[in-house]
Amino acid sequence: MATATPTSYTDQIEYTNEMAEFSPEVVEEMRAHVAKYPAERSRSALIPLLFVIQRERGWVDNPGVNYLAKFLNIEVTDVWETATFYTMFNLRPIGRHHIQICKTLSCKIMGEPEITGHICSKLGIKPGETTADGKYTVTLVECLGSCGTAPMMQVGFDFHEDLTVEKVDDLFDKLA
Amino acid sequence: MSEDKIKITINGEEVETEKGAVLIDVCRENDNSIPSFCYYQDLTPQASCRMCLVRIDKMPKLQTSCTIKCTDGMVVTTESAEIEKAQRAMGEFLLANHPLDCPVCDRGGECELQEVIFDWGDVEERFTEYKNVQPEKYLSPIVANDPQRCILCKRCTRVCDEWMGEDAIEAGNRGVNTVIGTYGGWLNCSQCGNCIEVCPTGTLLDAVYRHATRPWELDQVVSTDTYSSDGMQLSIGSRGGEVHRIVARDRYVNGLNGEFLDVKARFAHEFINHPDRIKTPLIRYSKGGKLIPATWDNAIKFAAEKLSEHRDSIGVVASPRITNESIFALGRFAQEIGADERVAVSDRQSMAEFYANLSTPLCSHRDIRYASTIILIGGEPEEEQTYTAKQIRQAVRNGGAKLIVVNETPIRLKTQASQFIHLDRGSYDAFALAFTEPDALRDTIDTMGVEASAFEDLFETIAGTQGDLIIMVGSDLSPAAQAAIAGRAARMSADARRVLLHSLPLYNNSAGAIDILPGAKNVEDVAAVSGALLITGSIQDPSVLSTAGFVVVQELFLTETTDHADVVFPAASFAEVDGTFTNNAANVQRVRKSIEPIHQSKPDWMITALIAREMGFDLDFEFASSAVFRQLAEIVPQYAGLRYPDMKDETRPAVLKHEVVADRDVTQALQQLRQGLESSARPGGKNQVMPPIGHRLHRVTTMTGKTPQFHLLANGNPKPDNLLVAPLEQFNPDGSVKEVAEAAVIGIGDRAHIGVNN
Amino acid sequence: MEIKAIGCEPLQLKRVLMENGHTLEVYRQTGGYKSLERAFGMSADAIIQEMKDSALRGRGGAGFPTGMKWSFVPRDSPKEKYIVCNADESEPGSFKDRYLLEGDPHALIEGMLIAGFALGAATGYIYYRGEYNYLIDIMDEALREAREAGMLGENILGSGFSMDIHTHTGAGAYICGEETALLSSLEGFRGHPRMKPPFPAVEGLYASPTVVNNVETLTSVPQIIDMGGIAWRDLGTEKSGGTKLWSISGHVKKPGVYELPMGYADMEKFIMDDCGGMIRDDKALKAVIPGGSSVYIMNAGQILGKNVPLDYEGLVEAGSMLGTGGMIVMDETVDVVESTRNLSEFYKHESCGWCTPCREGTDWLVKIFDRIAAGGGKPEDAQLLLDICDNIEGKSFCPLGDAAAWPVQSAIKRFPDDFRKWLDTRVNGNAMGV
Ligand SMILES: Cc1cc2nc3c(=O)[nH]c(=O)nc-3n(C[C@H](O)[C@H](O)[C@H](O)COP(=O)(O)O)c2cc1C
Ligand code: SF4
Ligand code: FES
Repeated sequence: MATATPTSYTDQIEYTNEMAEFSPEVVEEMRAHVAKYPAERSRSALIPLLFVIQRERGWVDNPGVNYLAKFLNIEVTDVWETATFYTMFNLRPIGRHHIQICKTLSCKIMGEPEITGHICSKLGIKPGETTADGKYTVTLVECLGSCGTAPMMQVGFDFHEDLTVEKVDDLFDKLA
Repeated sequence: MSEDKIKITINGEEVETEKGAVLIDVCRENDNSIPSFCYYQDLTPQASCRMCLVRIDKMPKLQTSCTIKCTDGMVVTTESAEIEKAQRAMGEFLLANHPLDCPVCDRGGECELQEVIFDWGDVEERFTEYKNVQPEKYLSPIVANDPQRCILCKRCTRVCDEWMGEDAIEAGNRGVNTVIGTYGGWLNCSQCGNCIEVCPTGTLLDAVYRHATRPWELDQVVSTDTYSSDGMQLSIGSRGGEVHRIVARDRYVNGLNGEFLDVKARFAHEFINHPDRIKTPLIRYSKGGKLIPATWDNAIKFAAEKLSEHRDSIGVVASPRITNESIFALGRFAQEIGADERVAVSDRQSMAEFYANLSTPLCSHRDIRYASTIILIGGEPEEEQTYTAKQIRQAVRNGGAKLIVVNETPIRLKTQASQFIHLDRGSYDAFALAFTEPDALRDTIDTMGVEASAFEDLFETIAGTQGDLIIMVGSDLSPAAQAAIAGRAARMSADARRVLLHSLPLYNNSAGAIDILPGAKNVEDVAAVSGALLITGSIQDPSVLSTAGFVVVQELFLTETTDHADVVFPAASFAEVDGTFTNNAANVQRVRKSIEPIHQSKPDWMITALIAREMGFDLDFEFASSAVFRQLAEIVPQYAGLRYPDMKDETRPAVLKHEVVADRDVTQALQQLRQGLESSARPGGKNQVMPPIGHRLHRVTTMTGKTPQFHLLANGNPKPDNLLVAPLEQFNPDGSVKEVAEAAVIGIGDRAHIGVNN
Repeated sequence: MEIKAIGCEPLQLKRVLMENGHTLEVYRQTGGYKSLERAFGMSADAIIQEMKDSALRGRGGAGFPTGMKWSFVPRDSPKEKYIVCNADESEPGSFKDRYLLEGDPHALIEGMLIAGFALGAATGYIYYRGEYNYLIDIMDEALREAREAGMLGENILGSGFSMDIHTHTGAGAYICGEETALLSSLEGFRGHPRMKPPFPAVEGLYASPTVVNNVETLTSVPQIIDMGGIAWRDLGTEKSGGTKLWSISGHVKKPGVYELPMGYADMEKFIMDDCGGMIRDDKALKAVIPGGSSVYIMNAGQILGKNVPLDYEGLVEAGSMLGTGGMIVMDETVDVVESTRNLSEFYKHESCGWCTPCREGTDWLVKIFDRIAAGGGKPEDAQLLLDICDNIEGKSFCPLGDAAAWPVQSAIKRFPDDFRKWLDTRVNGNAMGV
């Protein structure tokens, strides 16, 4: 059954102490986030910084986590406890285009099943899976706050609303 | 106090209590039982299990009694149809995804969930859907984990955080997928196992004990830790003459340490029943020959004869690990043959000078928890006196105490400290001098690599302290430094400030050895002047024995020391004897016989007494440890009047009366410290590396090395990259044997090898 | 999608409907930051009094009187104080805040500044749901404009009052809309709710006094200061002041965001006329969830011909709640068992997992619905579902537990026929569209 229950990140990985490295610009960006909060409260920047890591590294990987823990002076497990709570962080690699289809009530009754069916058959995968070429990952997600333009989905951070099969096809032509 | 007494009504009965007391405690004190899981005294409340719901008048909804602070006139109901329905509902919810495999669960029989369900559950099985599954696994060589059984009370994450300050285990994922775990899936910590202890279910389990036997088949005997000088109280679980596990669960024992233990106390007990234990007395008939098994009669005769030949030059060496009774026996032996000058204690870093110069009383461990300021000079309590460290941490974290760490190494505790004075290597003496003789600061300051301002801050903190100021001294300080600090501490007290001292000796009975053998020398000196030696335990540098004419050793295992022995007697371990240990807070506590002595071994004091009798003098021990202690209490002043019955109750440990002299004359010690300054033999320079968690705790010693898991721990604190050896043979979840080859596959074959073969 | 005001001048939607309404330039041309200047001339108590007079009730769902919430802040406390805007909008059916954040960011900034001035806060944070990432860029731009124009930062408009505002992002967690969970999240932790008391107004962000308000609540503040509390209140009713944004979605011809005066009459007219009625003319209205998924579902009989006024009291009267004003309309093609299952999945997915009843209860509910959907429904399931809901309701740590229970309870009571169809397997064994 395809609901987007958060993946359980409990596997025992071959942990490394390796540290990710970032360009001065990115480090600057991270500092800017930390600067928003009182000095002794730098942990507040954890979620914004996790997004930076995810953007830069494709997913929240081990060297990235190590870097964050050091950057904010907390334990890696502190990063893990927070990161795994939020569904937008991927602690495993995912496709280059993350297709997140809203499956909650308004979208559901306005045609989400058809859209999902179309996309999945197009890509030959089931929700929650990634295409073999690592290009697309499809997940069903809960309400994205766009019920008025249902059915809708989010690709990366971009909203695509009032979806029809045609619209979806156009989009994929662009993505391809 | 008395003015915050208030009255509340529980189930129609008026009871008196303190304002702000936690309702669930008050209800229980007045025998209104209330089920709970997430509530744990002195941990931050979290009100998540919802098991402790009660009805409070004038409040909407049911309230969680674990979070309610009592106020005057509060009217509480803990028993009603509504509340019972809620309690049953929570029980039912908790069981929904909980496997009903109690018969094979290691917690079966002592599981709080099981108990609560028995009392509040008995709902007909309405949950007929499938249960969510999660695989069993190992978080470390000694912590097994069955996530499916978890009820998310988060006691484990809170003790890891609040007791240990390690943040090693946390909750991950969300909602019904929430699990207790770590990043990467491996526990990177000191492996204290407290998370296992506080876990109410079979989620976190002792991997050493796993699948060994059922809890209710174990005889539980309350005893004292045989490793650290904190004197932690624990319960030894044995069956059929074999020790299976050691715990501090409050259902069995309630000592000064509550449910707290460390990795050694809890897990390093396999040495007790280890096949390498010496089985019979052994005799080496000719130097260079082999040790040959002998009967007790022959061995005693042989030892007594040979010793008698050196009667005027016999030296004795007491181990700081054995009981007060056994140490006392050696003392009496020496006394009888007039060898008082040739008595040694094989403590690596004796704190005799500290105890000889007390200018203010020692503190209790409870005092530490509620201290206002703690000054830690030298030592590494997180590795050596773990309970002291826990009390320091909670004093700072939950009690807002100020911690000042003075050390030559950046120990981890410094991260909790309000001030860290980082001394150059070999500067403790200089510091002790400047600390106790403020006007000596000028000549010392530029010899220890710290700014004068550090001392200003230090003295300012002391001057500003109201309440208890606790000065802790590590055994790595020189005798002179120990004497100076202990002797001058009293000078730092004031009207609103009580100064207390705390020592950090290395061994479980270092303190007892100091009390009982005050004039003891170090092993080298005694060995040098002794024609023959009677030794309990092993010594640091056995080569000093090569000159001795005749050596008798009482030991558990064959060691480098026994290589020099002419006669070896099999001694009984702490689990096999009755007696007492004295801890670093002047508590004398009982060591209790949990199993019969292994093979032919005997308590050390008895072996000594047998030799003495054979040599023609009787120590009048009536061959009962209680009798030995009675004699000890007559002779050793601090122990005057004490008897075993006074130590029956581990919840109220007996406290020794040490001689305290407000202004000690420590001029001699200060002299030595001054001279020390001249001699420029000090290495100097700073040690910048913070030692890893476990660097001492996980050391493989004669005793810890007998627990295979310690070889894994000793291979560096189990960080995932080296902990991939975890699935060694004995660690297979299903109990089946896994090929060591597999360990090899993941590239640590050699380590796995150590793990298995030792 | 429609965006318009009905029965009143667009207030909230004024600039949302304008070209470049989001720019500082247009904002000032249309009277922007005048209220702030006026507020600088008022005492803190006066401002709070205006808020009280306005009868503004929090638009985030709980409907707590805003003026009263502000008055709980210990203004003499030596601690820092914080204004936090709740822009986590995650309630299924609710999407109004999105358009305010996109079309009128400066109104929010001005509202937060006025709140900050009244309560002595020097810092404000806007907590966006992670998925609203593109809105953060819009707001950051607006903040930059405001800073440059001296509306933000040191000594604002020469008033001597200094305050700065920052955007902060969540990362996919409905529970972080709950104010205390939001604060945990804002501090970089898991989004678990915290114990109340202490309430955020006393011990909130970083254990300091904190006011957490919804976007729409805060964008109302400049209007209230501008026209005066009483006048603003009189746009609506005695008890529910002002105008309200409604998000309407589902089977209506013209879904969208509508601004209505509080007390608008009536619900049937709104759905059937203003929103163009049913999307398929041959299909009748079956069910409406009026206030976002966390309220009781209503059947057509409770709406048609009942002239239900659209305000807090009216909807309670009619057997539901106003909540966030996120209206989900369903025609007779919808199977309420299916729609209820869909919402149960939502709450299971969003349960933070902290407390037993919600964590295990929502999981159990979904498992039962899955079994029913697979054709394995049993007559006694209705009772079981209701009892599980009863065991969650009022016993969970935070209101999400209740929110998970209500839709199920009301659906079973108000759509017995749909359930009967599924729970009597002998009549019907086929699985519903899964
Ligand atoms: C489960 C849950 C989710 C919530 N989600 C939101 C939300 O997305 N946005 C919001 O403004 N308030 C939300 N709230 C309400 C907030 O807790 C809080 O009442 C509100 O932000 C206060 O602001 P207001 O008084 O202006 O409404 C939620 C409450 C609960 C219990
Ligand atoms: S009700 Fe409990 S589990 Fe559910 S969201 Fe609130 S705290 Fe978390
Ligand atoms: S003990 Fe009160 S909620 Fe768990």
